[in-house]
Amino acid sequence: AGCTIRAFAWHPHTSKFAVALLDDSIRVYNSNSATIPSLKHRLQRNVAAMAWKPLCASILAVACQSCVLVWHLDPTSLSTRPSSGCAQVLSYPGHSPVTSLAWAPSGELLLSASPVDTAMLVWDVSTENCVQLQWFGGGGVTYLAWSPDGSKVLAATPSAVFRVWEAQMWTCERWPTIKGRCQTGCWSPDGSRLLFTVLGESVIYSLSFSEYRGEMQGQVGGSKTASIVADLSETTFETLYGEERIGGEVHSMVWDPTGERLAVIIRGQADVPGSQTVIAVFRTRNSPVFELLPCGFLRGERGAQPQLIAFHPCFKKGALLTVCWSTGKISHVPFFFVSAHVPRASPSRSPVMASASVREQPLFSEL
Amino acid sequence: ILDSFNDLYTSYVIFCILLMSVVILVISIFNAEFYAVVPSIPCSRLALIGKIIHPQQVIHSVVHAVMGMLVAWCAAVMTKGKFQFLAVPCMPSESLDDAVPQMCLNEYHLFFLLSGAFMGYSYSLLYLINNMNYLPFPIIQQYKYLRFRRSLPLLVKHSCVESLYFVRNFCVAYYFFGYIPKVWISTTMDLHIDSKLHPLDTLTGLLDLSLVYHAWLCGVFLLITWYIAWLLFKIYATETHHFPVQPTFAEETDQCLPKILNSNPPLIIKFLALQDLMLLSQYSPVRRQEVFSLSQPGGHPHNWTAISRECLSLLSDLTQRLITQQDAAAANGRAKQPAGELKVSPQTPGAVVTEDMSSQSQRSNIVPRASMSSLVKSSLMPLKTSPGSDVGSPFSSPALNCKTGILDVNSPWHGSVQSPHVMRRGPKLWTSGSDLQMNGSHHESFPVLSAARVGSEAVQPSFIYTWLQNKQEQIKNFLSKRVLIMYFFSKHPEASIQAVFSDAQMHIWALEGLSHLVAASFTEDQFGVVQTTLPAILNTLLTLQEVVDRHFKLPHVSSKSPRISGRLVDTSYKTLRFALRASLKTALYRITTVFGEHLNAVQVSAEHKKRLQQFLEYKE
Repeated sequence: AGCTIRAFAWHPHTSKFAVALLDDSIRVYNSNSATIPSLKHRLQRNVAAMAWKPLCASILAVACQSCVLVWHLDPTSLSTRPSSGCAQVLSYPGHSPVTSLAWAPSGELLLSASPVDTAMLVWDVSTENCVQLQWFGGGGVTYLAWSPDGSKVLAATPSAVFRVWEAQMWTCERWPTIKGRCQTGCWSPDGSRLLFTVLGESVIYSLSFSEYRGEMQGQVGGSKTASIVADLSETTFETLYGEERIGGEVHSMVWDPTGERLAVIIRGQADVPGSQTVIAVFRTRNSPVFELLPCGFLRGERGAQPQLIAFHPCFKKGALLTVCWSTGKISHVPFFFVSAHVPRASPSRSPVMASASVREQPLFSEL
Repeated sequence: ILDSFNDLYTSYVIFCILLMSVVILVISIFNAEFYAVVPSIPCSRLALIGKIIHPQQVIHSVVHAVMGMLVAWCAAVMTKGKFQFLAVPCMPSESLDDAVPQMCLNEYHLFFLLSGAFMGYSYSLLYLINNMNYLPFPIIQQYKYLRFRRSLPLLVKHSCVESLYFVRNFCVAYYFFGYIPKVWISTTMDLHIDSKLHPLDTLTGLLDLSLVYHAWLCGVFLLITWYIAWLLFKIYATETHHFPVQPTFAEETDQCLPKILNSNPPLIIKFLALQDLMLLSQYSPVRRQEVFSLSQPGGHPHNWTAISRECLSLLSDLTQRLITQQDAAAANGRAKQPAGELKVSPQTPGAVVTEDMSSQSQRSNIVPRASMSSLVKSSLMPLKTSPGSDVGSPFSSPALNCKTGILDVNSPWHGSVQSPHVMRRGPKLWTSGSDLQMNGSHHESFPVLSAARVGSEAVQPSFIYTWLQNKQEQIKNFLSKRVLIMYFFSKHPEASIQAVFSDAQMHIWALEGLSHLVAASFTEDQFGVVQTTLPAILNTLLTLQEVVDRHFKLPHVSSKSPRISGRLVDTSYKTLRFALRASLKTALYRITTVFGEHLNAVQVSAEHKKRLQQFLEYKE
C-alpha cells in the first residue's frame, strides 16, 4: 500500500528486470539498451506477480486479475510498445485472481496459484494445457516458491498449514504450523533447506530435506520438525545516533543464489513509536552445517519503507540486492565478497570474508 | 430397500451383470486394438469420409452398436416395469368375446434397444472423429490413482451432457425412421401392434418424459462405463516404464534402453523409451552415470553413442520432413518428392550437415528457388554433376532439376496462377489433386525419375513423359473448376500442418533428454564421452531450429485455434508444433547456459558460431 511498484522481477540470466507499476503497465529495463519497452494489455489488471522464464531470452509471465499473461518479447527489438499480440492468455475458469507464479527452473512448466482456488495449476505454456493439482483443506495458495534445483515447491495457504510438493511425481507433504499462516519462504540453492516465517511470529524457521537422489520417487523427504534458527524479536541497539529499536515480524525474505546472503524485511510494531521497517542482512552457509550470522541492516531515506526485495540471479562479484522502496525508488545494493564455493587461484592468501559494504547506490533509480 | 436387495439376487440381475462385464471386456479389447500414439489426421474431407467407411471402422461401429443394444437390454430388463419384455400380452379391442390374449409388440422396449444401438454407434463415430484412439502423454507425471481421480468429475459431467445430445438425436431419428424396425419385428415375430397405445414414432409418443428420462439414464450409464474403460486404458498405457540402461542380466539385453532405441520397435515402445530417457536425464543421477560410462574391455561409450545417435537421427528426420514440406509449399503444390530419395544415413548426420551448411552459405543466392533443401538433398544423395544442366546450381541432383524444369515450363497451371479463380482458393489447391493422380502417375513418374537419375545424361525427358504431364495438368485444371470435387479434395491447411507434426512428441522428448544429458555432462561426465559428439549435436539442433523458424513463417502455421478448457478428449496433438519450437529453444539455451563461454572452443561452422553467440547473449 502506498507504493507505486506492484511487482519486480529480475531476468534469471541477464541484467534485465521488469517492474510492474500501479497503473498496470510493466516496464522492462535492460542494462544493455536504452529502450524501455512498456507492456500494456486490456487483461493486465491488478498485477500481483511476475516471473521471467528461465532458459529463455525474454518471456515474461504476469499474474493478473483474471488470467496469466505470458509476454513473448523480442529481445532485440527497439520498440517501446510491444503489441498485445505478443501476449498469450492462459485462463482457467474459477482461477482468479492469480497472485503467485513460479516457473520450473528447467524452464518447461509454469505454476500458477490463486488464494480462492484450492487447485494449483501446472501449465505447459506452449500447448496451453494445464493440469490441476488439487488438495483438500487449507484454502487456496498465497505463496509459491520453487527450489532452485527444481525438485520441490513450497505452497503456502491462508490457513495454518503449508505444503511442500515434490516436482517429479507431484505428491505433497503437509506441514501444519502452530500459530498462523506461512508468510514467506525461501529455498537454499541446492534445495535441501527451506527457511520460512509464520505470520505473527518473529522467528525464522528452518526445515531440512534429504538430498534429492532421484530414486526416491514420490517422497518429499522432509525432516520431522522445523527448527528455529533466528529470533528477530525486538531489541534495542546502541548506535551513534542514539537508541534504535529494531525487530518484529518478517514481511518477506530472499536468499541470494549463491546461498551466502539472506535479506529479510523486518516490520517493526506499528503501534510503538520509533520502530521502523528495516532490512536485515545475514551471512549464511548451508554446507557442511547450516550457519546464520547477522551481517548488518539496510535503511532507506527518511520515511521510505522497503516493500520488495530481490537478489540479482547472476551477480558475479558477490550478491546484488535490489530494494523497491515505498517512495517509488529502486535501489541496488551490492555486496562484494568472495564466494566460498568458487575456487580461487591464489592459495597463499586465505579469502577474507569482506564485510558487507552497505552503501546505497541507485543504479537504476526510477520514478 | 429390502425389495431392491431381494431383486439383486434374482438370476436375471446376475445374468445381466455378467453380460455387462462381457460388454466392458469387448470394449476394452477394442480400445487396445485401435489405440495409436500418433494420431492419424485426415487432411481433406475425402480422407475423413474414407476413414469412416474403412472396414476396420465399420466393424468398430457395428460391434459398438451391438454392445450398446446389449447394455440397453440389460438396463431395460433390470428396471422391470413397462420396458421389460419385447412382447407383452394385450387384448385386442375388437373381439371381446374371443378373450384370447395375443402378443403385442412392446414399443418401449424396442425404443430402448434401438436407443442403445444408436448410442453405441454414435460413440464409435465420435471416437473416430475426435481421435479418441490417440494416447496423449501427460505433461507431468502423477500416480495412476491420482490421475484417475482427477479426471472422474469431468468424465461424469461430460457423459451426462453427451447422453442428452444422443437422446435428442435418437428421438429425431426414431420419429422419421422408427416405423421400419417396428414393422420388421412385428412381422418376423408375429406380434401385433397394440392399437390402444400411442405409437411412439409420433410427437405425442416421443414426448413421454419417463421414456426420455429412462433412455437418458441408460445412456449416461453406458457412456460412463465406456469412458471409464477408455480412461483406465489410457492411464495404464501411458504409464512410465523403467528401461534399464545397462543390462544386469543376460536376458535383459533386449530390453535395455540403447538397444530399444536403435532397433525399430512398435511405436508405443519407442515412445515409452523416449519418455523414460527424458525422465532419467532430469531426475536420476545414477542412471545418467550409466549412460556416460564406458564399456568394460574396450572402453567404448556404447550407451551414449547409441542414445545420441538415435536422438540425432530422429531430429534430422524431422528436419528433412519439414524441408520437404517447405519445398512443396514454395513450389506451390507440386508433387512431393518421394521419400525414398531423402534417406538420411544415420551414421554421421552431423558431419554431412556441416559440410552442406558451408556450401549453402556460399551459394544461397545463386539458385533462384533458393531452398536449402535442394542443396541438403544433393549432399545426402550421391553427388552427380549433370552436364549442361543450368536450371539449378551444379550441385543439385539431376532428378530435382529435371522435375522442376519440366513442371516449370510445361505445366499449363504455371500460367493460370494469375487467374483469380485459382488465387481465390489458396496455395494448397493442387497438392491433393496431384495426390489424387499420384496413384496413377506415381508409377509413371517413378521409373522415369529413376531412369533420369541413373541415366544422368537425360536432361531432356522423354516425349511421352511430357505428354502425360500435359494431360495430367489439363485434367486437374478441368476438375478444379468443379466445386463439388474441390469441396471433397481440398486440403484443410490446419489439418495438413498438424499431420506433419503428428509424431512431434518423440522429437520433443529426444530434445529434452539430449539437452539434459549434455547439461548434466558438464559436471558428471568423467570420461568426456559427450564432448566428442558436441559439434554434431549443436549442428543438428541449430539446423532444426532454423528450419522450424522458417516453417513457422508459412501461412497458417503460427495461428493457434482458441483453446476450450475442460474438455474430456485431449486435443494436444493440435498444438504439438508449438511445444516443439519451445522445447527446441529451451534445449539450446540449456546447453549454452551450462557451457557458457566454453562453447566457443567447439568446432562448428561459422554461421552456427554466430547463432551460438546470439544464444550466449540471450538475444534469440
